Amino acid sequence: MAMLEVRGVRKSFGGVTAVSDVSLALETGHIYGLIGPNGSGKTTLFNCITGLERPEAGTIVFEGQRIDGWKPHRVAQRGVGRTFQVIRVFPELTALENLMVVTRGPRAEAEARALELLRFVKLERLAGEYAGNLSYGQQKLVEFVRVLMTDPSLILLDEPAAGVNRTLLNDLLEAVGRLRDRGKTVLLVEHDMKVVMGLCETVFVLDHGEKIAEGAPGAIQADERVIEAYFGR
Amino acid sequence: MNVVLTPAMLGQVVVSGLLAGALYSMVALGLALIFGVMRVINIAHGPMLMLGAYTTWILFDRFGMNPYLTLPVSAAVMFLLGALLQRTLVFRVVDAPELSSLLLTFGVSIALVNIAQLVFTSDLRSVEFLTGSIALGPIALSKSRLIACAFAAAITALAFLFLQKTRLGKAIRATSQSREVAMVCGIDVQRIHLISFGIACALAACGGTLVAVMVAIQPEMGQIWTFKSFLVIVLGGAGNYPGALLGGLLLGLIEQLSSLFLTTQLSEAVAYVLLVLALLVRPSGLLGGRQT
Amino acid sequence: MTRGRTFVGALALLAVALAVYPLFGTGYGVRSMLQLFMWVALASSWNLISGLTGYVSFGHVAFFGAGAYTTGILVTGAGWPWPAAALAGGVAGAVLALLIGVPCLRLKGPYFAIAMLGLNEVLRALVSYFEGLTGGGNGLSFPTRHATVPIYYAMAFTAAVVIGMTYLVITSRFGLRLMTIREDEVAAEAMGIDTFRHKLYAFLLSAVGPGIVGGLAARDQGYIEPMSVFPLATTITMIVMVLFGGKGTVWGPVLGAVLLFVFQEVVWSHFIYLHQLLFGAIIVAVVLLMPRGVLGLLQIRYRLPRTI
Repeated sequence: MAMLEVRGVRKSFGGVTAVSDVSLALETGHIYGLIGPNGSGKTTLFNCITGLERPEAGTIVFEGQRIDGWKPHRVAQRGVGRTFQVIRVFPELTALENLMVVTRGPRAEAEARALELLRFVKLERLAGEYAGNLSYGQQKLVEFVRVLMTDPSLILLDEPAAGVNRTLLNDLLEAVGRLRDRGKTVLLVEHDMKVVMGLCETVFVLDHGEKIAEGAPGAIQADERVIEAYFGR
Repeated sequence: MNVVLTPAMLGQVVVSGLLAGALYSMVALGLALIFGVMRVINIAHGPMLMLGAYTTWILFDRFGMNPYLTLPVSAAVMFLLGALLQRTLVFRVVDAPELSSLLLTFGVSIALVNIAQLVFTSDLRSVEFLTGSIALGPIALSKSRLIACAFAAAITALAFLFLQKTRLGKAIRATSQSREVAMVCGIDVQRIHLISFGIACALAACGGTLVAVMVAIQPEMGQIWTFKSFLVIVLGGAGNYPGALLGGLLLGLIEQLSSLFLTTQLSEAVAYVLLVLALLVRPSGLLGGRQT
Repeated sequence: MTRGRTFVGALALLAVALAVYPLFGTGYGVRSMLQLFMWVALASSWNLISGLTGYVSFGHVAFFGAGAYTTGILVTGAGWPWPAAALAGGVAGAVLALLIGVPCLRLKGPYFAIAMLGLNEVLRALVSYFEGLTGGGNGLSFPTRHATVPIYYAMAFTAAVVIGMTYLVITSRFGLRLMTIREDEVAAEAMGIDTFRHKLYAFLLSAVGPGIVGGLAARDQGYIEPMSVFPLATTITMIVMVLFGGKGTVWGPVLGAVLLFVFQEVVWSHFIYLHQLLFGAIIVAVVLLMPRGVLGLLQIRYRLPRTI
């Protein structure tokens, strides 16, 4: 049984169908990529999975449980974590607080884990700094480890490489790889093809809300429909 | 329920509701304009109406002007005041979190109400111009309500024509849809904001002028209009201009209907519960509208 | 660290001074201080919901009035002693907050604010309608018996409790979670925070203080009627005090209450519209020029901790 099963999901806004009859399945312990031209519905699909949007049709099953229609906080508590296309740290909270606010349980434990995660991305000396004062790259890292605080089994990353310099990107990708090695499942939306090709084992391609291809990166690159979607005929 | 509903009563209610509704629609259109173009919730909208009413009163009381002839004057004056407010204060919070614009317009509304208190005192004023009613069969219609409705309908129609047919109107609608796209199309968004705010205040002022003939004028009179305008927008769909029309008529009808069964005090409570229900059921309004 | 200790020391001294003040203060002085405590409690309470979560409650005086009427009815109708009745007023405030909060807090921030705007008028209408119970437009009169000094202490105690509660909330993760709602509600939800429930708790907490002081104030005045206990002016004053002092902090609302109360008493109490006008202007000025309030400026200037 797949860890995440999306079946026939549809979501429209007004007259525009953002996601149309999309189905995909994710197995545990792999890294997946979700690509497609702008406006193809990738973020909307993410939103449907995480509960920010409610699909009009279709089902989403996570670890054997239907989660479509659940409120976002419930989905998150169930074990699905995500980052956003536009960074959404809490600016008036410190980096440490940004992480600690996400978990329950004893404060000391939360603080210890938060510091550990900040150390993981080499930001521990900025723990007491307001997140709003951090640089773009630093905020990106904080958002990334914030997702890891609750130890989710499925991690959705929305354009993790956007606006990030080479060194940082390598660190991030390395971290993602390590997550996979520990048995986590990652689905990432990306425009940077090098990242996708280098990291993802399976890639899904969306165009105008529909899934037009699915397969290994090499096969996708050569797929006519994909080329057409990006470059036209 | 110990009220017996005759067709005449129903007719009376429907007609009264539509008459009042036209006025609500016009005033609410102004609020919808500000929200649609700038995403600002203008709590000072009611006080604008109040100032329009006072403008009419001054002109009537000091110069004996026909109150209905003061419409262009009060509209022009409030247009300018609105533009001034937008240019000095409101424009600074257009891109800020919604909380800021809420608090700002709240502060402005307090200031306006109290300026009115200082200048006019809280003595009730009235414009005794048109009294009495006309009978249309079994239905009695107060003359001032009838004329108010006529003017409101005409002004609203003009506003819609402006929005649909003129270049400026189309620019306003484009900016409501998407500010970024409007800018790319070469629309001077700052100017659009200024003009929209001015028009919205002018519409409120017209409401004030028309209402001045019907009710007592006092500085706090605008508050309930702010609230009802919000109710209209929610009923009709936020950011949806034709929705303001329907929402206004709907509110007028509902109010008149509920006044049959409840005292006027409770019918205000009805409006309130209605607002909360409407917001819960469809945050973007009952008639659809833009997704926020 | 010594800064913290000096601060606590100063607070302790202040507490002692306030405790013994009624022994040698004038009647007018005691009543003024009593009012100040009331405003401190009101402002700090408003801060709990609006300052922390960013959900602006424009109708907060509703809880004040509900407390006043509950106390009034219990004292005059059922012969309760006023301290117990005032506590019941606090409960009434919380119950009202529950009734309003459950539907309204599901709305997004701005819509919640709009819903709260109309609350005032509705409650006033309801109070007038249920005349039999509330005395309607004629109001309720308390049995006259001077209780100024006990009420002084009751108000002071309530204010202290509210401040203490605020401190506990702001320094806890619950408080942090409330703040995430203000910072980015969507992200907060996505991170697993049940924003509705948090907002509701904050709202309930914020209604208890006004409920209690509403009851105490009613007892102090000796007479309540719809206009006197649901005035928009009270909400406006609460809001200005918190915004001016510094929303989202522990001492900001207290600072704002003290500063503006003194201002109000000394300068403008005779010119009610003028000072209301200035309140409106202050709100505008604060929003545009110093959104963090006076305390916020001090925090930046003297590098004070966020949890102050």
